[in-house]
Amino acid sequence: MNRLHDIEVYSPKTLEEALEILRREGDRVKVIAGGTDLIIQMKDGIMPRKNLLNIYSIDELRYIRMGNDSIRIGALTSFTDIASSALIRNYARILADAANTIGSIQIMNKASIGGNLVNASPAADSIPPLYVLDAVLVLRSVEGVREVPIQSFYRGYKKLDIRSDELLTEVRVRRMAEDEDGIFLKHGLRLGDAISVVNAALLVKWDGDDRFKDVKIALGAVAPTVVRARSCEEALTGKELNDSTIWDAASKVVNDISPIDDVRGTAEYRREMSVNLLYIGLWEIINKRNQAGW
Amino acid sequence: MARKKQLLETAETYVSVSMKVNGVPCSAKIEPRTLLVHFLRDVLGLTGTHWGCDTGNCGACTVIMNGKSVKSCNIFAVQADGAEIITIEGLAKDGQLHPIQEAFWENHGLQCGFCTPGFIMQAYWLLQQNPNPTEEEVRRGISGNICRCTGYQNIVKAILTAAEKMKR
Ligand SMILES: Cc1cc2nc3c(=O)[nH]c(=O)nc-3n(C[C@H](O)[C@H](O)[C@H](O)COP(=O)(O)OP(=O)(O)OC[C@H]3O[C@@H](n4cnc5c(N)ncnc54)[C@H](O)[C@@H]3O)c2cc1C
Ligand code: FES
Ligand code: FES
Repeated sequence: MNRLHDIEVYSPKTLEEALEILRREGDRVKVIAGGTDLIIQMKDGIMPRKNLLNIYSIDELRYIRMGNDSIRIGALTSFTDIASSALIRNYARILADAANTIGSIQIMNKASIGGNLVNASPAADSIPPLYVLDAVLVLRSVEGVREVPIQSFYRGYKKLDIRSDELLTEVRVRRMAEDEDGIFLKHGLRLGDAISVVNAALLVKWDGDDRFKDVKIALGAVAPTVVRARSCEEALTGKELNDSTIWDAASKVVNDISPIDDVRGTAEYRREMSVNLLYIGLWEIINKRNQAGW
Repeated sequence: MARKKQLLETAETYVSVSMKVNGVPCSAKIEPRTLLVHFLRDVLGLTGTHWGCDTGNCGACTVIMNGKSVKSCNIFAVQADGAEIITIEGLAKDGQLHPIQEAFWENHGLQCGFCTPGFIMQAYWLLQQNPNPTEEEVRRGISGNICRCTGYQNIVKAILTAAEKMKR
């Protein structure tokens, strides 16, 4: 492990100051938010020595607000605040449920949504929900503002559409409609502080005949980035929902993923778990609707 | 003391931090990348906060920062600049153990004791959030803390007992 000394830390108190430092220093500084990913990477020597831009005390980046047709979440908002927000629980429940599984309480208390997104682990639990909720990421620099849809933000394994003078300042998610249901599923090796072996977010829109008018499925930890399960989505849209169509659709997920072997599981295990998770998740969504008296 | 000297004197660029620890204002000039756990243990001499895995997994280093439990091995002291910190040393008042400490003692909630300060601080936060937890909620609440000795049963029992004591 590396000793972590002899570097400079900038701790601006406002967004404006932070952006000015980023403009001036660019690649010479590394942004630190909650630090739950970065500090470990620095200790392991994965991170080249860089000066730090500590944004943790920029409170103006901590908020959850209702926008015109989206919910706006400040990049520094912690997963504890996201999990307990009434707005998010009511209108973007899938994200609240995912937030509740991120690490343990101590990690949720400090880990920020912005850090989860920019760290860009394929297993990051907030990303699949944000894919199905059509999230838009707001990137700011001294030059101006860019709004990037989440799917084009990720260009490959840890390859992101963000410049060195830009800060992620906000995440916008669409509000779920009355005729939509969703679920977040995570398979980890234990319940607390477990990185996902496979995770998934499902969002369905019902038509009048108890079929899916639209389905969105995103999975994590099974490819270099989070992926949409298009073959599976297609196999469900407009179809009658019975055990065989659901099993067939869930089985198709293997066409959409490209998992690898790692310390948490083999590629084969991940393929099997992906099918199982989707099968379980789809039935949960359907049963919930049936119980609700439809 | 050697470690303290190192932290205080070898830095090429010092930074000043000040925070309130267990109600007492403290400030020091330190290396910028000093972790909060080392600041507490080596600069302030508060060795009740333990340092175990150093990877954010075991929870032995749990302290309360601005009202929330965090793992102090996973946070730089500069990120806690201006914060209010509570450590295990801040719980007993006037020689009286805190009810959570009493409950751990009475219920044999520890064996070697290495994990105990972390569990107690996490329980402190948990019971503040939820004074009436179910067993399930206690287990979820302490899932970020690892104990290699007790098998957790008595830790859970201790926290449930503490909840009862604190209502009295
Ligand atoms: C014990 C433990 C358990 C964990 N469990 C989980 C888990 O279950 N699920 C999961 O998804 N993650 C987990 N994590 C990983 C981590 O906690 C999350 O990814 C967290 O959300 C990172 O946020 P942070 O604020 O701590 O980011 P940091 O560590 O501060 O930053 C992470 C990266 O993002 C960059 N960055 C941060 N904020 C911004 C910004 N606003 N603009 C531009 N760049 C930025 C940093 O430069 C850095 O590269 C765990 C970590 C630990 C230590
Ligand atoms: S020493 Fe901090 S979590 Fe283990
Ligand atoms: S009592 Fe020994 S680790 Fe918990």
